[in-house]
Amino acid sequence: MRPCSFRAGLVILAASIALCGCTSRRVSLPRDVVVVSVEQQASWVRNFNPLTTATAPRWPTLAGIYEPLFVFNGITGKTIPWLATGSEWREGGRVLRLSTRSGVKWSDGRDFTASDVAFTFGLLKKFPALDRRAVWSFLDRVDVVSDSVVDFRFQRVFIPGADEVGAQQIVPQHTWKDVKDPITFANENPVATGPFTEIRTFQNQVYEVGRNPNYWQKGKPMIAALRFPAYPSNDRANMAMVFDEADWAGNFVPAIDRVYVSRAPKNHGYWFPPVGSMVFLYANTKRAPFDDPRVRKALSMAIDRDLLLDVALFHYSRAADATGLSDSYSPWRDSTAIAEGYWVKHDLVRASAMLDSAGFRKGPDGKRLLKNGTPWKYDVFVVSGWSDWVRAAQVIVRGLRELGIDANVRTYDFSAWFQRVQEGDFDLSLGWSFDGPTPYTFYRWLMSSSTVKPKGQASMGNWQRYGSDAADGALTAFERSSDPAEQKRLVSQMQHVFVAQAPAIPLYPGPSWAEYNMGRFDGFPSAKDPYADASPNKYDRGEVLLVLTNLRPKAGAR
Amino acid sequence: MRFLLRRLGFYLVAAWVALTLNFFLPRLIPGDPATALFARFRGKLAPEAMQALRETFGLSNAPLWKQYLTYLSHALRGDFGISVAYFPSPVVKVIGSGLVWTVFLAGSAVLISFVLGTLLGIAAAWWRRGWADSVLPPLLVFIGSLPYFWLAMVALYILGFTLRWFPLGHAYADDLTPAWTWEFIADVVHHAALPVGSVVIATMGGWLLSMRNTMITVMGSDFVNLARAKGLAPDRVVLRYAARNALLPSVTSLGMALGFVLGGSLLTEVVFSYPGQGYLLVQAVRTQDYPLMQGIFLVITLAVLGANWLVDVVVLWLDPRIRDSAS
Repeated sequence: MRPCSFRAGLVILAASIALCGCTSRRVSLPRDVVVVSVEQQASWVRNFNPLTTATAPRWPTLAGIYEPLFVFNGITGKTIPWLATGSEWREGGRVLRLSTRSGVKWSDGRDFTASDVAFTFGLLKKFPALDRRAVWSFLDRVDVVSDSVVDFRFQRVFIPGADEVGAQQIVPQHTWKDVKDPITFANENPVATGPFTEIRTFQNQVYEVGRNPNYWQKGKPMIAALRFPAYPSNDRANMAMVFDEADWAGNFVPAIDRVYVSRAPKNHGYWFPPVGSMVFLYANTKRAPFDDPRVRKALSMAIDRDLLLDVALFHYSRAADATGLSDSYSPWRDSTAIAEGYWVKHDLVRASAMLDSAGFRKGPDGKRLLKNGTPWKYDVFVVSGWSDWVRAAQVIVRGLRELGIDANVRTYDFSAWFQRVQEGDFDLSLGWSFDGPTPYTFYRWLMSSSTVKPKGQASMGNWQRYGSDAADGALTAFERSSDPAEQKRLVSQMQHVFVAQAPAIPLYPGPSWAEYNMGRFDGFPSAKDPYADASPNKYDRGEVLLVLTNLRPKAGAR
Repeated sequence: MRFLLRRLGFYLVAAWVALTLNFFLPRLIPGDPATALFARFRGKLAPEAMQALRETFGLSNAPLWKQYLTYLSHALRGDFGISVAYFPSPVVKVIGSGLVWTVFLAGSAVLISFVLGTLLGIAAAWWRRGWADSVLPPLLVFIGSLPYFWLAMVALYILGFTLRWFPLGHAYADDLTPAWTWEFIADVVHHAALPVGSVVIATMGGWLLSMRNTMITVMGSDFVNLARAKGLAPDRVVLRYAARNALLPSVTSLGMALGFVLGGSLLTEVVFSYPGQGYLLVQAVRTQDYPLMQGIFLVITLAVLGANWLVDVVVLWLDPRIRDSAS
């Protein structure tokens, strides 16, 4: 090789590398396929088992391929009959009788009947690992009465149990009865009742679920298929939305008006209704001085929630009121309870006066002192990497310092944080709420004595370890009442207890994330047309089915 | 031969140590897979589900040493259990899906970077004070010293996002099915261009510099002068006499680099949404997926050990001195 040919070789090598990059190609999809971004995954694993708890996030298995008996609409607060057409309490609330929908076919053409329902619940009993909602903690047995009627016999009167039964996805008896281990069963080719059941393509980067040819709602779904590309990060998913590669997503987008909407104001839309889990500042009520409700209220008044929303959340949510209820409980909210809740307003003077009157005075150096004279010094625990929480905690700490409390943000890795919080080994910590279709679940995990674990024992919820007799009364009565007016009265009672006692300090309801591109499809819910939650993340109680059966290709779209 | 066998024995011991560490390290993290999964929902999963989750994963309460023995015997059979994050796929299958792409992506990046860097290093030593000697090394070293993460993001932003010359992620276009057609191969190359290119740009400086420096030392040595004095053609002197000897240290580091390919491609894969195993590892750690973590760590360990063994073989072939002392 001569020197010049050596040099030429280098040039050719460089040129060929540069050339590789210049064969650009655009992906074009038929206009009746909706591209969805829900989970962040690097690659997909073919698994469409709707019962396994471990795959609970695998959308659209839970609401799309399979369907529940009832769909709960978190925007209107209504329960919509789906695979069941109605329910009725019998024998004084000991038996729940469901009538199943006739004319529903599985995607392989067989009829859906009440025995499929009984079979599904039988599986949950036989394999407790599948019983995600712990229905067998209150169910006694499930009997098929006829092809379209099924009876659920309860161990005790437990009215909220109907919501848990109704949210269960139903699997077909004829294909599942031979499955040996339904826990690890991957169910690669699902037979189901939902609007989308046919796996048209499955690769590790993308999969597509096509329309169910036998879907029971005539003429629906109006879109041919759902397509799921694997986006490993939030940033990547957002980029796909910005570039019109994806039509629908449920991800956090920073400064969305600038980042997303402004690029195509006509087509790019979003709706973040504050219906998600409430973010709380939990104070450990088993430790002084947080056992005193006046202290908890004073801490709450030290927090500038408006600033917090600005700093932590781009103002995507609203400040919490003192009932702690998010907008998904709108029909239950009691305006008198909300009005009594003065302690969510930012008011340092009043907060300071309250602490003074509770016997916690400031020392000469301006530091707030405990009754024995030691200064207050507390850490606010958050999960490292959950940046919205970390920023919220910084605002909180700032407010607490103004009360003379030596407060600091302490970040932990999730597992370490969770362990401390569960074992009650904390003073102050951020945390979420546990929610259900009614405020019953929510308040049960906030102030029922039955959820208070003894010291040292890990507690799944009620981390602040607060129990109230007044709340217990209302909660127990709620379990036994199926009369809507009575239920509403009891929930009002719970709200008043919560406002009076401040078992936890509500900050803001988490928004439900939904971004959509209306360039190719119509029918996404929005603030103007709030028929359901627009977020694809709302699979838990079937809400997303309402959107899936309402989406339609836009006439004349590209 | 005895030399290679002795090395092999050493690697076996190293593999055992790695296996053991693999088992104990993940278990030192507080919490368990059920907790980690619970966390992903941020309250969307009812507390009741926790028990169901524990049952599903079959979290064992057996004493640690017993778990360790089961783990070892399963590992020998290549059985790493069922992944938690990708439940219910076996770990072997999950790793298999990502491994191919990582080997392709990072392997080609390291090889291209090595070949280009070494060639440029030779060129720089050949034409002292030419452009390859005065401009390229400082420029490439400067680029290489930038945080790789940042460099990759900038490349993605400018070439992918703004100019739209390259796709924003994935190993191939979503509407293609993998097949040995020209269209598919071209697409894979197109998708790999940006990630591979960014790694090459970032790492080439190191190869160039080390090759150039060794070359200059070797070029000054007696046997090269002798070759020149004999009147051999300059390219023969440079390539066959100097370069072959200067290559030795570079080959050793190439072995190390190849070994770290599997673990080190993590950032590339995250930035470019590449469906490889680096991202799997992040996922596994985040979800405390012990079986998957163990599987991936083992693959990485085996890759490092395997690459080192290969280097032993290659060096043996390149350097007669070792061959003589070994036999």
